Amino acid sequence: MAKKLSDTFDKELVKKLASLLDETGLTEIEYEYENSKIRVVRSQSNSIETINNQSPIELKIPTGGGANTNPNGMVEADRDPGTVKAPMVGIVYTSSDPDSKPFVQIGDKVVENQTILLIEAMKVFNQIKAPKSGKVVQLLVDNGSPVEFGEPLLIIG
Amino acid sequence: MIEKVLIANRGEIALRILRACREMGIQAVAIHSTADVDAMHVRLADESVCVGPPAADQSYLNIPAILTAATISNADAIHPGYGFLSENSNFAKMAEEHGFTFIGPSSKHIKLMGDKIKAKEAVMNAGIPVVPGSDGRVENIEAAMSIGQKIGFPLIIKASAGGGGRGMKVAKNQESLTKAFNLASGEALAFFGNPSVYIEKFLQNPRHIEVQIIADNQGNVIHLGERDCSIQRRHQKLIEEAPSTALSKSQRQKIGSIVTKAIKKIGYRSVGTIEFLFEDDKFYFIEMNTRLQVEHPVTEMICGIDLVREMIRVAGGAPISFTQEEVLFSGHSMECRINAEDPTSFFPSPGTITEYHAPGGLGVRVDSGLYNGYKVPSHYDSMISKLIVHGANREQCLMRLRRALSEYVIDGIKTSIPLHQRILEEPDFISGDYSIHWLENLVSKNQK
Repeated sequence: MAKKLSDTFDKELVKKLASLLDETGLTEIEYEYENSKIRVVRSQSNSIETINNQSPIELKIPTGGGANTNPNGMVEADRDPGTVKAPMVGIVYTSSDPDSKPFVQIGDKVVENQTILLIEAMKVFNQIKAPKSGKVVQLLVDNGSPVEFGEPLLIIG
Repeated sequence: MIEKVLIANRGEIALRILRACREMGIQAVAIHSTADVDAMHVRLADESVCVGPPAADQSYLNIPAILTAATISNADAIHPGYGFLSENSNFAKMAEEHGFTFIGPSSKHIKLMGDKIKAKEAVMNAGIPVVPGSDGRVENIEAAMSIGQKIGFPLIIKASAGGGGRGMKVAKNQESLTKAFNLASGEALAFFGNPSVYIEKFLQNPRHIEVQIIADNQGNVIHLGERDCSIQRRHQKLIEEAPSTALSKSQRQKIGSIVTKAIKKIGYRSVGTIEFLFEDDKFYFIEMNTRLQVEHPVTEMICGIDLVREMIRVAGGAPISFTQEEVLFSGHSMECRINAEDPTSFFPSPGTITEYHAPGGLGVRVDSGLYNGYKVPSHYDSMISKLIVHGANREQCLMRLRRALSEYVIDGIKTSIPLHQRILEEPDFISGDYSIHWLENLVSKNQK
């Protein structure tokens, strides 16, 4: 099953488009050439922020049976007020492409609205922004790993 | 060959599909909202993915999230269950476009049957009986008279632009037709700004009888008999049984073969149900449901066939594993839909189950995700369990259903069990003499 998208898309281009998006203040850019099409969409700013703790969503930790994709230490992360949670199900990327350095690393200072991760869902790359300024105290996801809705991604102290 | 199925649903039907997958050695991926973290379909699944917050439009109806969940879990097929996205042709199409096998019919057929007018036309052309009527607007009283002479009385006159009972009038005979026509047309103009009306034969006390079919990619179509779902309130079925007490063996065979031929002609694949109104020994098409139905277990009980298993096999490209001749109806089956609601006021009753004990014994089946301590969320449908029993005949089936209902303990919330128990004591129900209005009448009698 060749469903890994990560090795087929032009990450450099996505990065360029993403920064163009930031520069121009647009919410969406679609770029098409030959047989491929890339669409970069900025999440509605309020949607991300709502999910990130301003109105905390009740989240329980799955207890029984089924394997879930959550890393260890989620219980603590879930309670931490500085936890940034995934606003959608998808694949998380810690950098704009494999050769670039990560958006953020543990110990980094971040400012509110700074892009800290990307989540790819249905070939759309969604920028996850810092809900507040602070220091990254924990990074809970690996580059390229799948995340569920509401899964803790990182903690800003 | 399907190896991993994502179940795009919740509750008892997610569990039902999961069970079929397990028995076929197929991995099952559950999806859930944050309100369903502790649900049984999640607990029993091989893997689970949280796709969104409690609101269904952001979780169980969230197509991008569900397709992404299927991608990250490496599922190769998606089963939509019933409700939610099961009859969304766009979802079926997108699932296929993303390389997943949609365990259901083609998006083309979902779309066709979702359009009430086109569906009626399609099945009529394929030989299925429909409610006779004017097939379009009726210009004047003379035209109405000639329709009356052709199809007989009573007739119902409906506003073309109408809905909600407005502009609807019944004409019992030729004498009352002029008055009814003018009234309906006047109301149509007053309420919808358009006086155009159409005419249909009016069914007074029909039963709701539906025929279950399964079709494969090889062109085989098999019917699995009928279900009688006349015990309903506000179009919500409450008790279903198979076979229907209203049909003879030859009537069953006849409608079965009409439906089978029609479905073959339409080129449909997967399980499906053709719903009819049945009055004076005649069938009138209502709609086709292009999905697995809530009440499918009563068919499974009398046929001894696992419909979900067959549905998955057919979606994977296999032919149906039995022939029409091999389908044998044995005994009688009934299903009670148990809802988390007040049995008299029908007010929803979500909450925590403080004590749970499911009935058992020979011929008793419970399809439910309930367990002790489970919290019934308020965000979704109130149906929390299906109690299905099978007996050698209808009498034994009734006795067994009464026995099973009396064993069933669901404490902490109100359920419709007392209403079921009451229905099972009603002489009309015991004798099988009821129409689609019967329960409505019983309930209103009760409330007076």
